[in-house]
Amino acid sequence: MMQEVLRLQNLQKSFGSVRALKNASLTLKEGEVVALLGDNGAGKSTLIKAISGVFPIDRGDIYVRGEKVSIRSTREAMDLGIETIHQDTSLAPDLSIARNLFLGREPVNLKWLGVFAPLDLAKLRDAASALLKRVGISKKLDADALVSTLSGGERQSIAISRAMQFAAKVIILDEPTNNLGVEETHGVLRFVKEMREAGHSVLLITHNIHHVFEVADRIIVMRRGEIVAEQTVADTDLLTVESLITGADLSALMKRAQ
Amino acid sequence: MVQQAGAVTAEDGAGRANAKSSLMRSPQFSSFVILVVLLVVFAVADGNFLSPLNISNMMAFLPELGIIALGMTLLLTAGEFDLSVGAVFALAPVVVMLLVQNAGVDIGVALLAGLLLCIAIGAINGVIVTKIGISSFLVTLSMLLIVRGAALYITQGFPLKSWDQPGFFVTLLAGSFNIGAFRFYTSLWWFIGLSLLAVYVLRYAKLGNWISAIGSNRNAAVARGVPADAVKIWLFILTSVLAGLAGMISAFRISAASPVAGTGYELEVIAMVVVGGTALTGGRGTILGTIVGALMLRAIRNGIVLVGVPGLAYNIFVGVIILAMLILHALLQKNAARS
Repeated sequence: MMQEVLRLQNLQKSFGSVRALKNASLTLKEGEVVALLGDNGAGKSTLIKAISGVFPIDRGDIYVRGEKVSIRSTREAMDLGIETIHQDTSLAPDLSIARNLFLGREPVNLKWLGVFAPLDLAKLRDAASALLKRVGISKKLDADALVSTLSGGERQSIAISRAMQFAAKVIILDEPTNNLGVEETHGVLRFVKEMREAGHSVLLITHNIHHVFEVADRIIVMRRGEIVAEQTVADTDLLTVESLITGADLSALMKRAQ
Repeated sequence: MVQQAGAVTAEDGAGRANAKSSLMRSPQFSSFVILVVLLVVFAVADGNFLSPLNISNMMAFLPELGIIALGMTLLLTAGEFDLSVGAVFALAPVVVMLLVQNAGVDIGVALLAGLLLCIAIGAINGVIVTKIGISSFLVTLSMLLIVRGAALYITQGFPLKSWDQPGFFVTLLAGSFNIGAFRFYTSLWWFIGLSLLAVYVLRYAKLGNWISAIGSNRNAAVARGVPADAVKIWLFILTSVLAGLAGMISAFRISAASPVAGTGYELEVIAMVVVGGTALTGGRGTILGTIVGALMLRAIRNGIVLVGVPGLAYNIFVGVIILAMLILHALLQKNAARS
């Protein structure tokens, strides 16, 4: 049976008087792609930031593989196997691909030197090349190339392969296809399918409902800080989902228009 | 097997060719070429430019601004800068000398107090910039006024009596020695040693990767678990300490501590750093470039005096040359982006 990987129970988060997250609960199973949908301000970003350790939650519980955990920093989230790929902000453009892949987890010699320890440059480059080869983009990309020379799609590929490399249990993709061309978008969606096949669980945040129907297994809709609906993709359709997001009954409106 | 080996060699060859052309296009390389051109022009224009006396003179001044420029390079690479360095350059020796001369404190203890003062100034800069989130321009501009004001007030505006007692610390910071016809100061060793350390940290250490990443995209670095605020605070502290060290070196060398010493150094240092190819916006820093930049500004200031430019016109030339350098860097950057 598919095992539960991540469970959120009654998460709450307020910013001043604004209740950004009210009692949000959801579960994510192994090898499952779940799309998180909602309008701007629905609480999607707050939810994923809470899971990825950007800020602490006010109330509620987070379970990873059945074990209750507290996530107080991005580092702790990463150590628990939760990797987040933020829109446009996941890579440092002035660093090489290899350095980006291992940012924050650099292989070093003389470990006792702490932050002054020398990078193991050979290992860095070899591991990066091997990784690029594995994800099938080694032909085009050199591990020493600066990220600033890459296209948006290539950058997303790098960020996604970094998440996969660290054998993350949960990969959160925040608007991964924003600002991408048609072909690049398909590349990213293919990546999402590959992640599922490799056994990773994916939480996909997107505005594009068509993409959801292409890759997701389940849909979770948020509105005003709450989870208002949860459906399997097979059991729903575009119009229903759009109604859920906006809160208006679109199918009724359509009927009336006819 | 054989095929694979062949493929690897070909890749390596391409990599080397790439590395070569990227070196030629790199900002520190173009700065270096211009430095050489400037040196040749000055040497041809005035025979005394390369005389042992003049070179010794340049090398005496070079480390004082150069040492601050090393700290500023790391700070700029992390996306921040420090305008208070010139004022710290004055305050540190003024405080040390006051403690020694007026309070009868031992010179070693006084130097320690000066060091702690620099650490405190850097820490305050860093904490306000990172934790309260005010731009480093505004924070360090205010700090410049506070520190410079403090130096003027505690001395009542007068330079302190000369300090001419030789001793361990004077030798350590401002001792001099002769190599042939050249006279060098120990500060040159400080500059060389600190430069090597800075090159190591920025290019080869884990910390250097973090510094570049923070300046390039702070959010990305934080998302990977890099302690961006702590790194920045330590860099502010480092820059302040280096400014204080440079101030002590200068005060010992000329045997006097003036409350107005180092006025305008902050901009001169930032000019050295950006002329060398470090990006003012962070992410891209080069220590080699900064050394070239420091040599260049020193050579320009020295050379235009020798070739007979009127004293009051110095800054016109310095400004024009800096601007030309920056335009060149920008054009190279554009070309690199296009290709």
